[in-house]
Amino acid sequence: MESLNEIKRDTLGALLEQGKRPDGRGMHDYRKINLQPGILQNPEGSAIASIGKSQVMAGIKFDVAKPFPDRPTEGVLSTSADLLPLASHLFETGPPSDESIELARVVDRGIRSANIIDLNSFYIEEEKVLALYIDLFILDHDGNLIDTAALAAMSALLSARMPKVENGKIIRGEFTGKLPVKEKVVTCTFGKLGSKSFLDPSLDEEKGMDCRLTLATTPKHLCAAQKGGWGTVTEKDLMELLDISLDKGNELRSLLRD
Amino acid sequence: MADKPERISYAYVENGKTYSTVVGLFSEGKLVPLEGPYEPLPDDLIVGIISEVRFSGYSVDTNSPYVGFLSSREIRERFNMGDAIFARIVKVDEVKNMDIGDAKKLPEGRLVRVSSVKIPRIIGKKNSMVDMIRANTGCEVIAGRNGYVWITGKGDSNLAERAIRMIEAQAHTHGLTDRVAEFLKSHKKA
Amino acid sequence: MGGNSAEKPALLVNGKRVDGRGVEDLRSVKIVARVLNDAEGSAYIEWGKNKILAGIYGPRECIPRHDQSLYRAVVKCRYNMAPFSGAEEHGRSGPNRRSKELSKVIKEAFENVIISENFPKTEISIFVEVLQSDGGTRCAAVTAAAVALADAGIPMKDLISAVAVCKIDGQIAVDPGKEEDNFGESDMPIAFSPRTGEILLFQMDGNLTRSEVARGLELAKNAVSKIRAVQVEAIKKVYDEPKEDRFLLIG
Repeated sequence: MESLNEIKRDTLGALLEQGKRPDGRGMHDYRKINLQPGILQNPEGSAIASIGKSQVMAGIKFDVAKPFPDRPTEGVLSTSADLLPLASHLFETGPPSDESIELARVVDRGIRSANIIDLNSFYIEEEKVLALYIDLFILDHDGNLIDTAALAAMSALLSARMPKVENGKIIRGEFTGKLPVKEKVVTCTFGKLGSKSFLDPSLDEEKGMDCRLTLATTPKHLCAAQKGGWGTVTEKDLMELLDISLDKGNELRSLLRD
Repeated sequence: MADKPERISYAYVENGKTYSTVVGLFSEGKLVPLEGPYEPLPDDLIVGIISEVRFSGYSVDTNSPYVGFLSSREIRERFNMGDAIFARIVKVDEVKNMDIGDAKKLPEGRLVRVSSVKIPRIIGKKNSMVDMIRANTGCEVIAGRNGYVWITGKGDSNLAERAIRMIEAQAHTHGLTDRVAEFLKSHKKA
Repeated sequence: MGGNSAEKPALLVNGKRVDGRGVEDLRSVKIVARVLNDAEGSAYIEWGKNKILAGIYGPRECIPRHDQSLYRAVVKCRYNMAPFSGAEEHGRSGPNRRSKELSKVIKEAFENVIISENFPKTEISIFVEVLQSDGGTRCAAVTAAAVALADAGIPMKDLISAVAVCKIDGQIAVDPGKEEDNFGESDMPIAFSPRTGEILLFQMDGNLTRSEVARGLELAKNAVSKIRAVQVEAIKKVYDEPKEDRFLLIG
């Protein structure tokens, strides 16, 4: 209910004024993070990531595909997200919602901009390249699905193996080594209410906050960003949050196994 | 197993035999369900949230798929959307619409949603559990039969919530009171 | 049914199947209940290499309103396969025709067992997501969904489960794996209510004689009682090892 969120905004605002969060965390603390890489056998890569009670599964699958006409020697990277109805009483069945499209595109942007996968190495022959599909299956929603999905995707990529290609076809079940990944990209999502920002908003906080800011980083660069929601962010906010992201990013990266 | 229509659907009779329909503990001839949706009954004392201000009263969110209606004539105060109330279910009709009365506005606080069958354990015998939580956290805990628990007061509401979650998860076990006491004491801020 | 007969492997050699099982042996079945935090009830099943997640919402308000019944809860079911669930190509997001058919037959199986009269005007939604498939997903789906419903405390007449029976190299065998599904001569998935012996889901393709059908039913009934023990174990574990937060832990 929209109007009940107004009330949540007031309660949350009052807490934040005192420097507190509903679950007692610090303003820049993540909830407990758990990663399970390589848990499925059918896809070429897979992982489950959980942040607090949010849980996301990522699957990596390769297929042979036609390249884009303007990039005939480049492989294809495609990311999609499903906000499964079993993940939340807030999700409905039906065609992909704006939320799921945004989630997929934000996670994709970080991975693509940082160029961590060499798409040129996916060329097979004329009109044939490898396509790498990242599918994000949102299993359980308790806030900050973007960071959870990004961790799941990165963890799955790190666990992925290159399939054997013979005569222009993939030989399933046979591999030629790990998928080369140049760098680890992580995202840090902040919630904002008034002048207060807080890292890793829980679902409760998401219901009351004005907007969110997601910053995807590699050790020294910002490679993707997305502001969501109707509130505003000042320049000072942005630079502060960028500093925190670059710092927290290293914490997250250390959780991702090679 | 069931003589009066208590919480109805916990038992099912077929061919003269009675079977349990939900996961429960069966001892001394009584079936105690361990899980299940809240089924409203008259005289239940509940915690509700005002979800809509209507012409002659209020719609109340009762943690069930059914509409609760609080008539303006039943109360002296005025309520706003989002207010938490402690109230009584006066009447339940055949399609489970509820009439609510004796409503009292609750002071500012926060809502914890638990499985309604665990509420008696959260309250404790003669309020022993909620009293213990109050003594160790400084927070009032108002538990509604419908599974909504309201935590209020200037104390450590996080600790109170964690204690409630602990009771919810272990409601069916022995020695819970001692474990909760231990938990509260060890996490109490000086 | 059936692949290219020129490539067809021998499915039964000296009483042993491709994975070493005998005709009456089930693949390994593991179930964990209560793995999701938002859903009212949930269960995760590993049946052979199948990995399937079931989640339950409800009784909750039935939307759209015109689906509502004044007399009972409406049971809804969505069976869906992840795009990465198959061993071959990348699939598409969202239910295809097969998934929609399975959603319907699974729903109808549960409509028989859920005691829906106590919750008029509401819906009880069963969501099944196949994370990894390897033959027999609909039976694993029914089995997991039953545990998820029990986890949610939805009143039911019985704890049901399902298993398929197949004919391989002329013999009736229980619980076909993917290869047996593809190259066998018949596939017959069945869901039972163990208490009454009633059949709640029944599908079949291929060619079977009357006695083969009877033998299949017998094998299925035996298998279902073994599966029920695993389901009960999963439910008991929730209470024997209570946890406040739930996680899906695989492997």
